[in-house]
Amino acid sequence: MDNRSQTITGGWVGKILEVDLSTGQIRTRPTSRYLPQGLGGRTLAAHIAWEEIPPGIDPFDPSNRIIVATGPLTGTLSPTSGRTFMSTLSPRIYPRPWYTHSTLGGWFGPALKYAGFDAIIIHGKAAEPVYLHIREGQAELRPAGELWGMDTRQAQLWLKQQFGSRTQVLVIGPAGERLVRFATVQHAEENAAGHSGFGAVWGSKNLKAITAYGTAGVPVADPQALWEEVRRLGTYRPSPNHSILYAGQLERKKPVCSQSCTFNCVVANFGQAEDGRTVPGLCVGGLAWISETEMKGTRYQGGGMEVPESQNFELRKEATLADRCNALGLDVWFRLVMQPWLIACQQHGIHALRGHPIDPNNPAWFEGFMHGLAYRQGLGALFADDLRRLMDELEGELPDDLIALGRELEFGFGFPAHREGRFWDEEPLPFWVISAMMHASESRDPTIGTHSASLLLADFLLLADRDLALRKFRTLSEKVWNDPEALEPTFENKAPLAIWNQDQHIVIDSLPLCDFAFPQVMRPIGSLEEWQQAEDISGDLDYDLRLLKAVTGLVLSRQELTHYARRAFTLERLMLARAGRARPMEEGLAPHFKLPCRADGTLIEPEGFSHLLDEYYIARGWDLELGWPKPETLQELGLAEAIPELERLREKERKP
Amino acid sequence: MKMTKIHVDAELCRDCQACELACSLVREGQSNPALARLQVTKDMARYEFDILICQQCQPALCMEACPNEAILRDERGVVLILDEQCLRCGECAEACPYHAIFYHQATDRYLKCDLCAGVEGGPACVAICPVGALTLMLETVPEEQ
Repeated sequence: MDNRSQTITGGWVGKILEVDLSTGQIRTRPTSRYLPQGLGGRTLAAHIAWEEIPPGIDPFDPSNRIIVATGPLTGTLSPTSGRTFMSTLSPRIYPRPWYTHSTLGGWFGPALKYAGFDAIIIHGKAAEPVYLHIREGQAELRPAGELWGMDTRQAQLWLKQQFGSRTQVLVIGPAGERLVRFATVQHAEENAAGHSGFGAVWGSKNLKAITAYGTAGVPVADPQALWEEVRRLGTYRPSPNHSILYAGQLERKKPVCSQSCTFNCVVANFGQAEDGRTVPGLCVGGLAWISETEMKGTRYQGGGMEVPESQNFELRKEATLADRCNALGLDVWFRLVMQPWLIACQQHGIHALRGHPIDPNNPAWFEGFMHGLAYRQGLGALFADDLRRLMDELEGELPDDLIALGRELEFGFGFPAHREGRFWDEEPLPFWVISAMMHASESRDPTIGTHSASLLLADFLLLADRDLALRKFRTLSEKVWNDPEALEPTFENKAPLAIWNQDQHIVIDSLPLCDFAFPQVMRPIGSLEEWQQAEDISGDLDYDLRLLKAVTGLVLSRQELTHYARRAFTLERLMLARAGRARPMEEGLAPHFKLPCRADGTLIEPEGFSHLLDEYYIARGWDLELGWPKPETLQELGLAEAIPELERLREKERKP
Repeated sequence: MKMTKIHVDAELCRDCQACELACSLVREGQSNPALARLQVTKDMARYEFDILICQQCQPALCMEACPNEAILRDERGVVLILDEQCLRCGECAEACPYHAIFYHQATDRYLKCDLCAGVEGGPACVAICPVGALTLMLETVPEEQ
């Protein structure tokens, strides 16, 4: 333990819960063992996972760990801090499962801390379905016989009926129970650890739910300072700051997806389900519910690939489907890849797969298909291991271009189609280059936690005066990254920005904060006119440090915080190395980036992509052969104890 | 007499709980909704929210219910619990038509909104609420009998 841990007087509540589902044994360990470098959330989990998840195991092996972690700011008034972090070996990641992470908004993390725990580590496998009941400093495993089989909404209502409406619940639905590879861990209405299929890991352990309730609170080192910081930031501001590009969107009242979120988020919306209920939706759900007009413009298109346009259903049907999807415990994003692929099948004159009819533009059929996915029935059984794995199964059975399309829609490591410029989002140069470097070095779609880090600035190139935006970027880049050309639309020297984004992502997932609001690369600006006139648009990038100090008493420099982030990132990279992830696999992403970007038609040849990898690996202090940390890099990060294992892995990898 | 209270527009509430956290931070120096003097409630089945907070009633049923005269109205018209005189019997909480008197077991205290007596800038919950679901309201009411 660092001696500065003694200065900590708030934030963490002190205990980590360890649950062995096989034996039923529940123990605690002090959080201080990991402080200060294992800050919380993603950093804390990386330290635990590196030490405790046995190398080489399958995600469904009982010795796999489920880690649920809060951060020092969780449960406090720090804006957007109500998030919960989760990690484990993911069954969705392709081509082979490895360690990855997910965060979800909501109210669970705060409740866990008020109950007296900073994090939970779960391993083993229960003989019968159970749920973990945490209340006022105590934890116990209870039989989940009645709960098993319920959807995520029914199960939460049942548990709240038993333990009170302020009891917060993480739960899996039928999809998780049946180990569907994109099954979620769900919370409240639409908060989910979604893309990485963690629900299936819970299902494999016979873990249905975790409940948390407590009244102990979170100590705050300097309440006055926290109050002043929160007031200084202001409330009901748009989140993220690029919202000024979306005229009319700032006036609408939006749902919040997290305790302590005082922003008005552009990607959130209320929808009306067919049964009359109001349902909140975020991002892929909520964006679709803005209006009928906007919905018609929501297209799932590919850049170079012929991806057919998918039909949206009317608003109430969309809201109903999203609500049902959450109840079943399925990742709502599945539709973004499966619907266009199924439409492409129809265009090829294929109207049934292995005897099951397909009709993806028919809402009733789609709802049935979704149900089948969660219960592994009918056509759903075929798709329940995700589209990418299905392509391997159907190879030779369907036309090659359909198989290629399916592989393109899920082009590597699980579900990456997010802010990479080709498929769903438009990311002009240099933004897709930055996200490609991040993708090539991380376990999953990396941009999921870096919306505000810099990537959303891309929208200014598309929706505002491009030349003016580039001029402003130069001033901003000089100030933030000490390089006026950091955001120039070129392929050169983008590694520092990719790494900066990744540092920010880890900090955000550790404290935690919401990446739609932080970091404040751009200062709060009320309108596009104000943005056009502003000389300097840079924001307050040390807000995280000041919140951390106010809440915990811990005084960290940016350099120290970055060091902790890079240490955690490197531990994650070492876990990827354990799973055999290395440069050759990352080179495999190159064909995707040969497709022209939707926004500006730019692309990169495989040799160019290889140069990008070189630049990134060098900037990280990794070797060029495998893309793994060099011994001296590990030494600098205080991870010398990992050197012998990594050397053994290197030798193994080099053997023919 | 003139009196102030915090008006609730529950339709606007989005359950961010910033009001509870601001209340406990400013009044208790910690982040703990269970120590807040107001409470956000959520009916998950209907996806509806409400905010329970003292309406400084005139007359105040809590004051009438208290067997030890531990509840009084100050010169601002604000209803206060005198902790040192409180018997912890819970009669006030039972009597409150707004369910706005809260018992915190660990500290064995009954808590209610006192409009942030002594806090610069007025009630913290009103200051933080991002959607205007809580507003400070001045109204004239008949004198208490």
